Formats: sequence, C-alpha cells, structure tokens
Amino acid sequence: MAKTVDQYFDDLRATRVWRSVFRSGTGSSTLKRALAIQQNVFLHLFSTKVRSRMLSFSATWYLGTLTLGTFFILVATGIPLMLYYHPSAPQAYADTKDLQFVVSSGMFLRNLHRWSAHCMVFLVFAHMFKVFYRGAYRHPREFNWVIGVILLLMTLLLSYTGYLLPWDQLAYWAITVGSNIASAVPIMGNKIRFLMLGGNAVNANALLRFYVLHCMILPLAAMFFVAIHFWRIRKDGGLYSHASEPATVRAKASPAVTAKEAQ
Amino acid sequence: MKEKLKSLLQKLFGDSVRAFGVVSLVFLFSLAIAPAKNHFSEWRHYQHGYLKMIRNRSDAVTLQRHFEGGIQQIWLPDLGVVDRCMSCHVGLKEASLNDVPTQPFRPHPVIPHKLDQFGCTICHRGQGAATTVAEAHNSTLAWEQPILPAKYIESSCGECHRGPLPGAPQLNQGRHLLSRYGCVHCHMVKLPDGKIMKATDDPPSLSHIGDKTTREWIYAWLKDPQAYAGTATMPNFKLSDDDARDMSAFLIANSTPLPGDTATLSAKASSDPSAGASLYGESFCASCHAVQNAAGNVVGGDVGPELTRVGNKVKPEWLQAWLRNPRDYDEETAMPHYRYNDAQVATLSGFLLAKTDSDLLANVHLEAATPEQIARGKRLVSDYGCASCHEIGGIKKPENFAPELSRIGNKPVTQLVFLPGMQHTLPDYIAAKIKQPRLFGQALKMPQYSFTPAQIDSLATALLALNDRAATLPPSLTVAATPESDYQPAGKAGKLMTDLACFSCHRINGHGGDMAPDLTWEGSSVQRQWLVGFLKNPNTLRPSLIRRMPRFNLTDGEANELTDYIMTVYQSPSVDRDSMPLSGYPQGEVELGKQLFYGKYACQGCHIVDTKSDKGYIGPTLTQVGSRLTAAWIFAWMKNPQALRPGTGEPNRAMSDEDARALTAFLISQKGGGKSEVAKK
Amino acid sequence: MADSKDFTAGVESNAKKSPRRIVFITRRTSAQVKAETEDQIQTFPEVLFRAAIAIQVLAIALVWIALVFNAPLEGLADPSHTPNPAKAPWYFLGLQEMLHYFPPVVAGVLVPGLVVMALIVIPYFKVNIEAEGLFLKDRARRLRIFYLIVAALSVFLLFFKVYAAFVPTLIMAAIMLLAAQSSPQSSSAFRRYLAAKPLSYWVMTWFLFELVVLTAIGTFFRGPGWSWVWPWQGS
Repeated sequence: MAKTVDQYFDDLRATRVWRSVFRSGTGSSTLKRALAIQQNVFLHLFSTKVRSRMLSFSATWYLGTLTLGTFFILVATGIPLMLYYHPSAPQAYADTKDLQFVVSSGMFLRNLHRWSAHCMVFLVFAHMFKVFYRGAYRHPREFNWVIGVILLLMTLLLSYTGYLLPWDQLAYWAITVGSNIASAVPIMGNKIRFLMLGGNAVNANALLRFYVLHCMILPLAAMFFVAIHFWRIRKDGGLYSHASEPATVRAKASPAVTAKEAQ
Repeated sequence: MKEKLKSLLQKLFGDSVRAFGVVSLVFLFSLAIAPAKNHFSEWRHYQHGYLKMIRNRSDAVTLQRHFEGGIQQIWLPDLGVVDRCMSCHVGLKEASLNDVPTQPFRPHPVIPHKLDQFGCTICHRGQGAATTVAEAHNSTLAWEQPILPAKYIESSCGECHRGPLPGAPQLNQGRHLLSRYGCVHCHMVKLPDGKIMKATDDPPSLSHIGDKTTREWIYAWLKDPQAYAGTATMPNFKLSDDDARDMSAFLIANSTPLPGDTATLSAKASSDPSAGASLYGESFCASCHAVQNAAGNVVGGDVGPELTRVGNKVKPEWLQAWLRNPRDYDEETAMPHYRYNDAQVATLSGFLLAKTDSDLLANVHLEAATPEQIARGKRLVSDYGCASCHEIGGIKKPENFAPELSRIGNKPVTQLVFLPGMQHTLPDYIAAKIKQPRLFGQALKMPQYSFTPAQIDSLATALLALNDRAATLPPSLTVAATPESDYQPAGKAGKLMTDLACFSCHRINGHGGDMAPDLTWEGSSVQRQWLVGFLKNPNTLRPSLIRRMPRFNLTDGEANELTDYIMTVYQSPSVDRDSMPLSGYPQGEVELGKQLFYGKYACQGCHIVDTKSDKGYIGPTLTQVGSRLTAAWIFAWMKNPQALRPGTGEPNRAMSDEDARALTAFLISQKGGGKSEVAKK
Repeated sequence: MADSKDFTAGVESNAKKSPRRIVFITRRTSAQVKAETEDQIQTFPEVLFRAAIAIQVLAIALVWIALVFNAPLEGLADPSHTPNPAKAPWYFLGLQEMLHYFPPVVAGVLVPGLVVMALIVIPYFKVNIEAEGLFLKDRARRLRIFYLIVAALSVFLLFFKVYAAFVPTLIMAAIMLLAAQSSPQSSSAFRRYLAAKPLSYWVMTWFLFELVVLTAIGTFFRGPGWSWVWPWQGS
C-alpha cells in the first residue's frame, strides 16, 4: 500500500526538526488545531474559532483579508524596488527608467507595486463602508473602528508618499497639488507644508522625506496598527454578526430582523 | 460529462487545503511569466537576428569576436547621457557591414567624432536609455524628444560648436539667416554662451523717410516688399489696403526733414546711360547692390538693397545728396563715401533714376491723409512692432515684442498648437511656422517671409540647436565662437576708414566683413609704393572675381594717410618686412626657385606667372607679385600660409628653408611689365 | 469542605507572592454559562487557508494586470512646466474637485477634517447604536428638520454653484422622502427596507454618493484649466 500525500505530510510533521519549529505538534484534534493558532507568534493575534456563518463571502466580502493581501504584495515588491532606487533628484527618475529598461522584470515589479497600491486604497475604503453598513462598529468594537480610520489615513499617506518617488511630471505635480491643500490650513498652513516637504516647494528634500516616510516610518506604523487591529478583533469577540450581540441591542437594531428571528 | 467536471472540481477544490495547493500553482505559474517576458525582449531578438545574419558572411569570425551579448551602453557622466542604442544596433562599428541594406545592423558612416566618446543621442536625440524600438525612437509620455530627422542633424553640431563650423553648412546658413533676416530684432535669442544674438541686416531709420521717398512708394512697399525688389529683406505683413494707407500716412507725417536731402538738385541728372553704366561698373556698385537683368536673374551682392526699381523709390534730390555723401543721411551706413564730383553724381543718379517699373505705382492713388488715418497709422505701426527693426521718431523700440527663442529647441510639444494634418513634432512646427506664420492664426503678427525650403530647413536647424543641453553644457565641452571684436582704427586714418566703410568688406583684428581680404597684417605683407598706387587706382588683383575693390577717388593726401597708417599699424608680430631684401638675390637662387615653382611644387596649377603658358586661376595672379608683396612675407607664407591667414586655400607644403628662400627669390623677381607699373608718388 | 479555612480573603500587597485564583460560589448566585448556539469553526486550517486562497486569487489578478498594463510614467519632474490640468492622486480628486468650488480653507481643511472627525466618533453616538428607522418615531418633527437641512444644504451648494454635489443631494433627499412615506408594514420589500434605515445610514450613504460622484468627475471629466470635458474627447 502506497502512502497517501497526507501521510507523508504527517510523517514530516512528526520529525524532530518540524517539532522544533512548530511547537503545536501533529494531530487534527481540536486541541492541536487551537494550539496551532495560540502557539504561533503571528497567528495568536487571531481567535482559535470563528463563527461559521462569518465564513460566507457575503458576510465580509473578505475585504479585510484582501487588504492585508495587498499589503503583503506591496512589502514583497517594495523591498526589491528599494534596491534599485536612489532617493535623489534627478537620479530617482533615471532609476525608474532603468527599472523599466534594464532591470530584469523591473517593470513588472513596479507595475505590481503600483497597481497593488491603488488596489489597497480602494479595498480600505470598501472595507470601511462594508463595516459601517454591517454595523460592526458597535460596542464593544468602537475602538477598533477608530484604529480602522487611522489605518485608512495611513494607507492614504503611504500611497501619497509613494506617488512622488518616480520623480516624473505626474508625481511632481500631484504632490504639488496635494501639498498646496495642506497650506490652506489657517495660520500654520505654510508651516505644515514646510514641515511636510522640507522646503517651500516640492524638491529633493521632499523626495528624501517622502522616501523615508514611505519605506520606513509609515510601513512600520501601519504594521503596528494592523497588529492592534487584529488583536482587537479577537478581544472584541471575533467577527461581528448580529446574532452574537446582546439581545437588548439586537432587539432595537431592526424591527424587521427581530421579527424574522423571533419566529 | 457534467459529472466528470463536477468530480474534477471536487478533486481540485474539495477542501480548502487542496484548493490552496491548486491556487498556489496558478499563482507561481503567473509569477513565472514575468521573467519569461523579460527573456523575449526586443533587444535580445535583434541580437539573435544579428548573429544569424553574420553567420554566413565571409567575415563571420571577426564579427563574432567583436560581438558582445547583453545590453550595451555608452555612458557620458558629464552629460548625464546613457545610450543603449548599440544593444540593437550591434554592427555600428563594423565598417565591413557596409553592404547591409537596412537598419538596425548598418555601420555608422565615418564622422569626426568617436562613438564611444559621444554616444548616439547627443546627435540623433531620442531616448538613449530605452531598450525598445518604440521607446527609443518615438516621442512618448515619458520622453518627449523623438529621433531627430536626418535633415536637421546639423543642429546637434550646434549644441557644442558655437561658431561657424566647416562641414555643417546648413547650421551655418541658418545662424546667418537668423541675424541677416532680422529674426532677432523681434525674437530675443540668448545664445548658450550668454551673448544676445545681434541682427546684421541694418534696417534703415524711418525718421526722415519723407526726404527719401514718396507716400505712394511706401504704400506699395508695405503691401508687398517683394514686388519692389525680389531680394528685399523686409517681409510681407499682409496688410489690408486701409492699413497700408494709414501707416504710410503716419510715416510721412511723422518724418522730419534733414537739411541736405531736400536741397534743390545740385546737378541735373544726366541721361547718358552708357556713361552711367560704366561708372556703376567702375565703382563696383554690384559688389554690394544687385540688379535684375533682362533675363530675370538678380546679379550682384546683397550687402546693400537691390536697385532694380530704385527710380520708383527715391526722390532725385535725396539720391544725389546720398551719392555725394551717404553719411549725411545715415551715419552708420555700410555704404562707402565715394568722392564723386558733381558730374559723376549727375551721371550715376541719372543712371539709377532710370531704373523704374511703370507697373509698380500705377494703381496707387492715395487721397490726402486725415488726422484720424494718421492716428490709426501710428497705432498700427506700434501694433506691428515696426519699431523693433526700424528707428521711427516718437515710437519706442518695443521690449520682448515676440516670444524669446533662446530655448526653442526644447519647447514641449504639448505647448504647441498644431495645424490639422501636420506631424506633431517640434521641427515640423518650427518649419511650418516660418513657412507660413499666419496659417497659425490670422491675428498673429509674424509676417510672411519668402524663404526657400532649403533656407527654412537651415533656419529650423539653427533654432533646434538652441536647447537645454546647449545652454547647460559644461564650458569645457564646448567649442566657443570667436568673439566679434568691436575694433575701431584710431585717429585721422581711422576716421577715413570709417568714411570709406572699409569694414563693410574687409576684416581687421576680428572686426568687419568677409567679402575682401583680411587686412590685419597688411603692413607686413605689401610694399608701400604698391599700396599707395592700389588705393588710388585699384587694379585687377584677381581677374576672375566680380566683386572687387572700387575706386574711391581718394586725394593723394588721403591715400598717403591711409597707407602710412596701414604700414605702421597692421604689422604681424612674426613677419619683419625689412628682414629680407626686395631684390639682389643671386641668379642661381632665382633659377632654383623657378624650377621648384614649375617642378617640385607645381604652383602653376593655381597661379599665373607667365601669362602665356600658365593657366592657374584659383590663386591670385603673380606676374607683379615682386612689386606687391614683401620678401619676408613671401618667405613666411611659403613656410606656413595658415599661420598668417587661417583658412586660406594655399596648401602648407612643409618646405625647407632653402626651398622657401629660392621660391621667394624667384617670386620677388616678378616685378611685372612696365605697362602695369604702379604710379609712384 | 466548609469546616477548614486555611486561607484569608483580602487584598494581598506582597507583589512577590504567587497569586492563587479562587472561586466563591454562594447560595444566591450560581455559575451560569451563556449558551452559545452558533456553529463555530476552527481558525486552523479552514479560515487560514480560505484567507490564503483569497489573497492568492487577488495576487494572481494583480500579477496579470501588472503583466499587461504598464504603470504610467511621464517626463522628468520639471517645476517650470505645469501640466494642464495638474491632478492629484485619484483618491484626492474628490477633494481637488471641491477645491474648484470652495475656498481652500473650506474644501481643503474644514471638510476633510470634519469627515475624519465624523468617522472617528461614529461608534460613540447613541443614535448610531440604536439604529432605528429615521422616520419611524416623531415623524412630523423629524420631517420638518429634514426639510430644513435639505433646504439649507441646497442653498449652500447652489450659492457656490456646486451642481456636481447638488444633484446627488437631491437624489438622496428624494429617496429619503420615499423612506419617510414607508413603514415596516409597507407592501414592497424595498420600502420596508428603506423605512428601517437609521439616520447614520442616510448620512453615510449621502457621503459615499458624493465621494464617488466627485471623485469620478475629478478623474474622468476634468480637462485643461479644470474645465469640463467628456472622457471620449481626449486631446
């Protein structure tokens, strides 16, 4: 009798090396599966169980997950892009050109990074509206909603700072238009813009500033808040569904729904 | 069937782990496409094509040894240029591939520059960094400048070479036209070296135009300058009848009289055409002025205005005053002050006034001007920027009347408005704009010039050279133009030289025209007696030339004054004219010189010593050279002509001192026959 | 069990002593476990793998997009040549569109600032939590306020000639009026649905509507000098 693929995997999981890496051990018991989540530094942010109803596509449209996916892609493409890029004018533009013309698959990397960035901004917005219409911001998830708003702003900032980096006309004038909006703040508008750009106009200082923000500060901050966001999902009682809420809230939520559930 | 599909789907996506495996495979496959796409890039395709092409050639081994795969680039850090053209144009340096009919594998023609030092896009433009055909050659969103059409290629020479460049005639002509046709009166052109380009056309002042001509002529001229003179510099402003009427009214009303011009005729114009024609010929008026002959050809120089219909234009009183002394009317004129006597003035003015065309003013009938018309004329004169070129009393020269052209070669195509159906490129735009400016809008002020297509191309070439790279080039990489000097001779002789307008034709110390020989070292080169005689009565130094030194009717005092000055001041530091005697050379040396002349150096190919046997017409005739040039000059000239007069046609034969001395002895013995011995003081 | 008491209840302040947990069960209270009736599923492997599949499907889509469409790149940044129109990234074009109508302080600072503030405070307002149909209670008074707000908003938008925002506002007002005429007893499902929608729903939907309309206008309908052009009129 030949072994099945599953058996090979089981044998692999039983080896000493595997056991030293993954502490949860083999087996498909509920305990082992719970441990697989709990004992993993990354996965322990999630709860070990999810309401099966929340797995359906219509419940969340997987928007949060997909947003995380675009973030993974952006990190994975962003790091190799950094290797080919000097944040100095006008070298930045020449680097972007070289990425297109001589770097192996450089154009693909840049395309993927750019389209994923647009996609992420769109998904974050979509995620927010979906959460709102589901009413998932309600107690006890208020603060996670606030973190979500912060993450929305961060995504916008990430995209905006990245927009300048190719140092072409499109980038330059988009950032100029955007930074002019900042200068409309009463009294300290020009100071804010000066702080933002490192000068009174978009120039090499702004490029360096945006580069550091885009590649260091904002991604780290975003990861920090994403971690809190996930951890709070677990702590606030998992993914929201009407039925899991206290009856008092549910009763008032929607007469139609209550009437249906009462049957 | 449906069941099978269902079970397959079940097998693949039945549980999430399995589905994950399947999706992962699709994902990895998708990711693998990117490197594959990279592998089938255009430049690789061309390199494969090249290798395939050379495989069957006889010189395959050499070519294969020279071939290097991968992206090839020439990097010019000083200019920020990276050219990867040779990634596809692989055979650029292989002279033996000359028989390849089409690009991209043709070798580059021989040029004075090395490809490795200059790259490709410095001259050809386009996007050198690109590695695809479309991106490298065309205008894209990310790169505006496409490949420069071959007919404008000389504009790239002009980015570094700021002065006239032998081998780039189109560029030189374009630059000449820019100043000669007064483009730079209205359009400021700041040259890459920081200087403002100056006009060389010298448009006349209109402040006293009423003395010179009639309102009717002005009207006809304004309507169509080329109808009066085909070679006129003034362009056609396409004025309406009313506009021309009012502008002519204003110009006449605005004109103030000068004392001399309106004096009664001092001499009655002679009507002896043959005497007039011969005086016109003797004075070599044709060196500067052109006249249309019976066959319709315009013959003569273009320094002064064409005189075909001058009788329709000038008033007789003014013409006579002008011929007597042009400087009374126009201090700065390039016309020499001929010392004509009254009879000569009458003869010449009669000859010139007879040059009329009855059709020219036949249909011009103007009522007396009303004050409203004059006021409107003044407004029009301001609107059309007449004062940009002409001095007009009471009207200031407008500043920045037309767009500056200092960086026209980098004008973004997005800022241009093209005509329907034309190519959206900068060279095409410039050429079309010069050709017919008013097509781009009836309200535009730029007038219609009558340039030939070749002239338009050369103008576009010169304008395309005015670009960002030219302006930002490190000075070490440029070939500077010889700066125009403002040399002025001093003293009484200097005044005389200005009066005679010597600098209209001759060049001295870097200042003046190029029609006649450079006189900077004239004092070292000629003998005093010859010069005095020549000034009094210029004879035929180069019989094959139409343009020659005219006779100015100088007095003995003036000729001596001028000669003394030239002999004293215009001496070469390297030629001491008294270091060698003018005669007394041993006969043997003279004979040796003669043998060298006819034998070793074959000078008779270009020069004539013996009028009976020699046939050389390229260089000056040397029958009287012994009484014209100094021996020291001849010797120095034999040794190195280019050192004395850069650009001369005389070849440098690298003679030994003995040969040069013998030739000098032979030439200095050529004193000419008694017939042409010049008058002595 | 109840006879020996070898521990003392109280607040222990010695931080170095290991704490012990103790449960007291008195007669009046009893441990009660709230029955969780919902089906649950383990995160590992089902949820994780589903998430991974979702991410991979998105990644495949993006990879194909990246293979086919090149990211835009224009000429080198040049402060002396302003493109016309100069557009911000697409997600700011709604903002830029508003800048076209309102003074910068309003469109650039006040409105986005208020939007962010409003988003943050959403979960802390009782009206959002209760979520009852807007016009179900106190209908007459609420309708009066509704008319007042719509009128004020319309005057404001018309004063600045913001037709791009005025038209969506009118459409929203019409739908809300329909909602006001509906009740949970309405015959059509759509009207029952509308009747149940609370205030926060209406405000957010109006905001989303405006956001989409303004962004779309800024992206597709604005040409040189921020003038109106049709997308097919390309230059």
